[in-house]
Order: sequence, then C-alpha cells, then structure tokens
Amino acid sequence: MLEKPPVIKSYRWHLGSIAWILHRITGLLLVFYLLLHIWVIHHITSGPEGFNKVMSVVQKPIFLLLEIGLLGTVLYHAFNGVRIMIVEFADNAAGAHKAIFGAVMAIAIFLFLVGGVPMFMHFLHAVSH
Amino acid sequence: MAEYTFRIFRYDPDKDETGRIQEYRFEPEPGWTVLDALNYIKWNLDGSLTYRRACRHGICGSCGMTINGKNGLACETQLKDLGTTVVTIEPLRGFPVIKDLVVDMEPFYDKLYAIKPYLITKTPPPTDKERLQSPEDRKKLDGKYECILCGCCTSSCPTYWADKNFLGPNALLKAARFLFDSRDEGFEDRVNAVDDKHGVWRCHTIFNCVEACPKELNPTQAIVDLRKLMLRGRL
Ligand code: SF4
Ligand code: SF4
Ligand code: FES
Repeated sequence: MLEKPPVIKSYRWHLGSIAWILHRITGLLLVFYLLLHIWVIHHITSGPEGFNKVMSVVQKPIFLLLEIGLLGTVLYHAFNGVRIMIVEFADNAAGAHKAIFGAVMAIAIFLFLVGGVPMFMHFLHAVSH
Repeated sequence: MAEYTFRIFRYDPDKDETGRIQEYRFEPEPGWTVLDALNYIKWNLDGSLTYRRACRHGICGSCGMTINGKNGLACETQLKDLGTTVVTIEPLRGFPVIKDLVVDMEPFYDKLYAIKPYLITKTPPPTDKERLQSPEDRKKLDGKYECILCGCCTSSCPTYWADKNFLGPNALLKAARFLFDSRDEGFEDRVNAVDDKHGVWRCHTIFNCVEACPKELNPTQAIVDLRKLMLRGRL
C-alpha cells in the first residue's frame, strides 16, 4: 500500500478555499503587524527624543503605502470573519456562503475606498514634498 | 468527438516504488462519462488498469476519484462537461493507495464507526406499532440521509489531509443524520467523538466537501449545526 501517493494535479481552488487561505494569510500578517506595532510603541519608554526618531521612520512614504495595505488586510480579515460567523450562527446559511462573501466584501471594498483614497492622497502629498 | 488524452495515476504494489502517470489517447463516443472511458481502456487498451465501480449510476458510491483536480463520481462525470480534452484521473487523496485508482477506505469507515451510524434507542418500542416520526421531524433529515459513502467529501478536505484523526465531513454528516433524528436517543453515546478537537471543532469551513459531494449535500451545514448542538449541550 502506498501511504503517500504523489499528487499529479493540485486540488481545485474555489471561492470557499480561496477565502479560507486569504483569511490565514491576512491573520498572519496582522500578527506580524501587531509585533511591529508593539515594537514601535515600546520606544515611548525611551523618552520623547527616541520616540520621535522611530516615528519619523514609520512616517516615511513607503510606510504610508504599507498602511493602505494594512487597511485592506484588516478589512478582509474582519469581514470574512463576519461571513464565517454568519455561516456558523445563522440558520441554514452554509449553502449561501458565496452570496454572503459577495455581500460582506462589497462593504469591505466600500470602506477600503473611503479610507484608502484619502490615505493615498496623503502618500502623494508626502512624496511631492 | 475529438481525441482525448487520459493521464491516469498508476501504481502496482508488486512492481512500482511509487505512483506514476500513464497516458492513453483515443476518441471517446459522444455521451461518455469518465467511467465509460476507463472501461474502454480496461476492456480494449490495458486490462491491468484497476478501479472500483459497480452501479454506474451514482448510487453505490464506488467510483469516487479525483478528476482534473476535483473529486467526483466517474460514472456521473460527463466528458463533455470537463471543458478540456486532457483528463487527469487520480485516486481519492488523503487515503493510502492499494492499486491504481483503488484506495484503502478503512480509515474512512473507522471514522464512520466512531460516531455509531445507527439509530440508538433506550426506551422500549411501542408494542402496537413501529417508532413513528412526524412528517416535520422526518423533513429535518433531508440533506443528511442521502449520502452514498463515496468518500469524495472527506478526501477533498484540507483539514483531513492535515489531521488524519479528524472525523471528516462524511462521519460528521452521518452524526447529524442521527443526532437530529427525533427517534434517536444516542446523544450520550456519540458526544465524546463529535464534541472533540478531532470532531466538529476541527473543521475550518473551507467548503471543499460541499463542492465535492456528488449528491449535492452540505456537510458544512451539518457541522455548524452540530457545533450549535454541542454548545447547547454544554450550557
Ligand atoms: S468545510 Fe470543514 S469538513 Fe468541509 S472540507 Fe472544509 S474543513 Fe473539511
Ligand atoms: S456526503 Fe457526499 S461526498 Fe461525502 S460520502 Fe456522502 S455522498 Fe459522498
Ligand atoms: S459506479 Fe456506482 S457510484 Fe459510480
């Protein structure tokens, strides 16, 4: 008997599995961000000088762009999380998980634009100075 | 019909170290299913090709396999619906391969036995009639009892690939079929297996099982319903 047969073709992706893998990836990114955030904030113990120095680094244009990515990461993770909670707790919602995905992502994209456009303007402003 | 290329997973325990791909090219007849193509190969091109089948109309559950990266029944998959003339056929993943497309289903049945897939009763039956069930209560079992044990769901589940002790969508759907049966009194007998870290709580709602099930059942719904039942049982 062959315990670990080689796989010829990787298993087909679909909306449910893509949503799941993105949830994992954004979850890991948020853990990474949280560590970075704590690292930055801990500089407050080194007094105003030291704190301002770190803050000037994380206010560079590249970080302004990354923050837009952070907004997208948070929104995806939060709203796919809402989808999963609906599937778990609403009655007979598992069959509608794709429609629920569409609905929560529409809200997430709206909020991403509301937050992301001004953030991008801020970034353009920062690079032009 | 056009010429098709069938890329089939082959493994002979007497000769092969591991699995390999063998290609067969021919022109199938219109209306053929994947199973018809396999039969054609076995009867005309290569008698050594080994696979399971019996009913050839989607009721025995023997012919579950991975067709172009997705689990399904060979006998219910029309070649023309695949949208390609290159057809890759693999044994159900997640299970050990015995030969070619034949996998060892024992681990799958072990999970099923763990949830005690039969009506458990404690009160004696009425003496003048059988145990009756109202049409409303009977309706609650729709979508739970139709499973043909083909294994397509559990074999498609990434959680099962990672945790071979996970009961898997099939056994959990079966558990729901009995736990939500108004005549069943086996909650205590099943709860330990179901309310376990390898039971309902392992599922990550990936929905591969729902995509795979040839009977269009929804094991994920059964799993979230069981989770709510387990929570109520704890409260
Ligand atoms: S929904 Fe749950 S049981 Fe179904 S494939 Fe995903 S992890 Fe497995
Ligand atoms: S639930 Fe569907 S995919 Fe799973 S064993 Fe039953 S019929 Fe097959
Ligand atoms: S041969 Fe019976 S289900 Fe396909």
